[in-house]
Amino acid sequence: MAERVAIELVLNGARRRVEVEPHHTLLDALRDDLALTGAKSCCLVGECGACTVMVDGRAVDSCLVLAAEVAGADVRTVEGLAPAGGGLSTLQAKFLEHGAVQCGYCIPGQLMAAQALLETTPQPSDPEIEEGLAGNLCRCACYEQIFDAVRETAATAVVEPRAPAAAAR
Amino acid sequence: MTASRVGDSPARVGGFGRVTGAQQYVADLHPADALHAKLVTVDAAHARIVSVDASGALALPGVHLVLTSDDLPQPVPRFGPQNRDRPVLAVGETKYHGDPVAIVVADTVDQAEAAAAAVRVEHEPLPAVFTIEGALAADAPLVQDPSLREGQALAQTNVLNEHEVGWGDLDQAARGADVVLERRYTFPMVTQFAIEPHAWMAAPDGDGIVVWSAIQHPYWLQRMLAGVLKLPLARVRVVAPDPGGAFGGKQHPKYEPALAFAALRVGRPVKLVLTLEETFQAVRRAACDATVRIGLARDGSICFEDIRADYLIGAYTDIADRVVGKGSYVGAGPYAIPAVRIRGRSILSHTVPSTAFRGFGNPQINWAVESTLDEACEALGLDPLDVRLRNLAAKGQPFIPFDTPCDGDWADSVRKAADMIGWGSPMPEGRGRGIAVGIKSGPTTGLSTSIVRLLADGSVVVYAGTSDMGQGARTVFAQVASQELGAPLDWVTVVMGDTAVVPYDQQTSASRSTVLMGNAVLNACRDIQRKLAAMAARVHGVEAGAVAVEGGVVRLPGGAVLPIADVVAASLGRLGGEITGLGEARKEADPSHPLGGSAAFFEFNCTAIEASVDEDTGDVTIHRHVTVSDVGKALNPLQVTMQDEGAAIMGLGHTLMEHYLFDDEGRIRNLGAIDYRIPTSMDLPRSLESAFVEHEDGPGPFGAKGMSEGALLCVAPAVGAAIHAAARVRIRDLPFSPERVWRAIQERDRGEAGA
Amino acid sequence: MQPFAYSRPGTLAEAVALLEERGPGARVLAGGTDLLIRLRDGSLDPEVVVDVKRVPELAPGIRADDGRLVIGATTTMTEIAAHPVIRHEFAALADAAAYVGSVQIRNRATLAGNLCNASPAADTAPALLVHGAVVVAAGPEGTRRIPLDAFFVRSGVTTLARGELVTAVDLPLPSTRLASAHERRTRRRGHDLAAVTMAVGVDARGAARLAFGSVGPRPVVRVDDTATLGDRSATDADVDAILDRLLGDAAPSRTSMRASPGYRLAMLRVLARRARATALGRLADG
Repeated sequence: MAERVAIELVLNGARRRVEVEPHHTLLDALRDDLALTGAKSCCLVGECGACTVMVDGRAVDSCLVLAAEVAGADVRTVEGLAPAGGGLSTLQAKFLEHGAVQCGYCIPGQLMAAQALLETTPQPSDPEIEEGLAGNLCRCACYEQIFDAVRETAATAVVEPRAPAAAAR
Repeated sequence: MTASRVGDSPARVGGFGRVTGAQQYVADLHPADALHAKLVTVDAAHARIVSVDASGALALPGVHLVLTSDDLPQPVPRFGPQNRDRPVLAVGETKYHGDPVAIVVADTVDQAEAAAAAVRVEHEPLPAVFTIEGALAADAPLVQDPSLREGQALAQTNVLNEHEVGWGDLDQAARGADVVLERRYTFPMVTQFAIEPHAWMAAPDGDGIVVWSAIQHPYWLQRMLAGVLKLPLARVRVVAPDPGGAFGGKQHPKYEPALAFAALRVGRPVKLVLTLEETFQAVRRAACDATVRIGLARDGSICFEDIRADYLIGAYTDIADRVVGKGSYVGAGPYAIPAVRIRGRSILSHTVPSTAFRGFGNPQINWAVESTLDEACEALGLDPLDVRLRNLAAKGQPFIPFDTPCDGDWADSVRKAADMIGWGSPMPEGRGRGIAVGIKSGPTTGLSTSIVRLLADGSVVVYAGTSDMGQGARTVFAQVASQELGAPLDWVTVVMGDTAVVPYDQQTSASRSTVLMGNAVLNACRDIQRKLAAMAARVHGVEAGAVAVEGGVVRLPGGAVLPIADVVAASLGRLGGEITGLGEARKEADPSHPLGGSAAFFEFNCTAIEASVDEDTGDVTIHRHVTVSDVGKALNPLQVTMQDEGAAIMGLGHTLMEHYLFDDEGRIRNLGAIDYRIPTSMDLPRSLESAFVEHEDGPGPFGAKGMSEGALLCVAPAVGAAIHAAARVRIRDLPFSPERVWRAIQERDRGEAGA
Repeated sequence: MQPFAYSRPGTLAEAVALLEERGPGARVLAGGTDLLIRLRDGSLDPEVVVDVKRVPELAPGIRADDGRLVIGATTTMTEIAAHPVIRHEFAALADAAAYVGSVQIRNRATLAGNLCNASPAADTAPALLVHGAVVVAAGPEGTRRIPLDAFFVRSGVTTLARGELVTAVDLPLPSTRLASAHERRTRRRGHDLAAVTMAVGVDARGAARLAFGSVGPRPVVRVDDTATLGDRSATDADVDAILDRLLGDAAPSRTSMRASPGYRLAMLRVLARRARATALGRLADG
């Protein structure tokens, strides 16, 4: 068995140090080593997007990233979306308001893809929204409601890219 | 503090956890002492198990157990919701690609995977059948040992069962037809593809066992486990966290028994989370090959329908034969037809056991019948909309002579869909429209019980054994309780999914929960209202009959109207406490009925499509997709819309892109998400418009009917008709993949077009 | 996933030495979007995975250098699809990069990775072939430049030697504009593996190049020396005759589940016509 790899990362704004198996993915590390089960496991081949998180400001499938690769990175998960004081972010609230959530299993991934989209493209066009969320399957198929939630978040809220936390590298 | 009303669309109860990542699905449970399991399978469909050598696996670090059928009580227990034909683990042979031979248990997932790979299963291929033709061939190997089918006339064949219903005189009715068409339509194997792969955990619990399962029918699982493990029901606890999507695929037990034996053996919690690939090997929809003979008169009346539908089910029955029986039963559609014969057959094969899937056997036959009707309309030059309106059963009309009469103003839905799509109006060049209707029988039997507790401060706890798999049952029950007992929605807690805590519910299926559990919750609330009225009367010194409790308030003689919350504390007195209500809703069985009971309600939907075809590539573009359902009363209109639109898009999946592909040995080639395609956000109709019809004529609370499957039923025939209108090709096999559509266009241009 | 060791060399020399020493026991990790799938399904089982994203010579970036546009090996599809020079001068490449997978995939998938997998369906390959891309490889013997057409051998196999890795891909910045377009066929509109890929480039003098993938063991480039494809007044019959000649040796897999050979061959022609039309339109737009 290969040696575990010690990594430091900034996770939802907090500096974390963790030892990971070299063959474990970021998804494995989040769920099993860092006790964050918001990112979900489904296809494990980068097709469904249920495991989407943000790495250095970009949406990625955490099933296709080795945990060791995020050493020094800024990683954000659904658990980091809500404001520190409690409650929900505008995006989260709009998801509920527009009925974008049914079974909910894909929603953490949808939210992180939408968050990344809004941070890079604050006023996305409809095709940009469709394209930006095409990597996230929803079998309940609330796609139209998810679009509505993203559109309205763009219209009503300022989604600022959070300043990248100090690199832990 | 305002109570929620039915008819409002409050945010989903349970939504907060779903948008923050706090919602715990089974895979998210991480008890500190849990071990991890992995199934051992062979890379073959039907194979004789020569030997299983676990020694290499057991020698690996962290491995606790390799369990095969030899390690189980003998004869190996078998289970199944219809026939007890599925062994806990494969006995002597595997019957389909993915049939588990053993289950291994280790400290970590990695170790379990390594151990599963290290179990040496020597096996030899056996003759197998993967298609209807193959299964029915004279020399076909039998999928099931006839000894499992004692007393069955067809035990020496691969036909598990035949279902025939009919009425009227076909020959006589045929004489009135101006055209008689016979057409064959096929529907492929597709899979539920819930985004949450199946996951379970089992743990010893004192003298009994507790099993966590993302299951739709926790009480059914409890009963099955009690039987297999020979434990009293009270020693089997099933905890059913909300499934992350189910769509029928999580109705019935799959590998819970094997996991339970493993957990009892190692004496610790054992968790098994399937991969998506393993889920494809665990659940699917039955394929169907249907031949429809239809007679249509020039005036547009349907003279007769004579339908044969062969459903290709898997190696074990699961609930598949019920799917065939119930799905084919309403196959003639929502029409008043003088003569009908429907013959459905369940054909066994060496493939993944098919199970319930949204629509429950109806989409397959609906596709064939509605499409054939469209062809008959074309043959007589009749408008498909007119023909449907002409033949629809009228409210109160017994269209299936021995069943519940038509229970809705179905023509309203059809007219609404036609208006929305602008049926008959001009459209851009190259487009075509299609329209179709679908019907599904609701539950034929049912029993739901609910306990509701009105606490001293006026807040409410509702116990309901429904599984909230996304349909939003929790929200609807909370709305009902809120309206009846006057508590705001965030003062209502709905407890579900634990057989040790929540009273009995038969199952979460057939779009029943709003009607059956909804009524049970309503009845429990009314029980509380009665008790509260009596208590308030005592407190206020008036006649009990003079106090009315309704709609969240207490009305006293003389006109005083008090909120329930204000009355309850005073009524309870110095000892405090709470008021408990018990409610039940039943749908009794009828042994004389072909389905064992009449329909509690019918789900009715009309779908209209406007599409175009890229003639060079075969790409189909859905420009407009209109779906209208008769829902009786939308207790939560937003959730009704979500369910209908979700069903519509799921229907586009099997219509346009989904199907299992097999190799010659019966192995699924497109196993997993890379080559099994479902609709993404880029694959939606350019415009999706949904609406519903409400006449408050359902058996549920406030006139609600069950809904959530209807909008999937007739997507394929509506799209098929639109493609035909746009491109003059009639395609009788699904899905309408670009290549299949392109081939049809090539044939058309060579003058070979079918029909 | 089978266990393996993880190595993250900080210099090119270290990376090359490791790859040379371990040979097939080492696999290069760039974006990981293909590698991790193959590690998980067991089709690859390396002893060590070599993450090259911290090697400075392979750093992401797109810059002009001596008449060529140099794309660092770990440049992602997202960056390529958005780059203004690529969008104008190498439009087919921008088209192709934008088609690769989902946003999440494009944020990780690298250009060098797409080429080194040597998939016949690699989306960026036809565009790069049309534009005459050169692969820059570093290895134990130093650096060499490999024309992309000489890079692909067959599915999964390139002409990289043991110890070699791609540091960059470069494209000649044309003196005469070569307008290009990329087309593909998939089973749905959402992201999907291509059943056919096609890129066409035309220049103002009528010269045209066409490259395609998924219809044989490797992507292929063909030159139209008759100047027919680049001639906007050419008749459909003329164009079809040239396409028949240029596409004549395409031999799609008979066993693929994504599309039949007949459909792929027919689509090759459809996509070529469409890509040509788009490229001619872009040429006219300047």
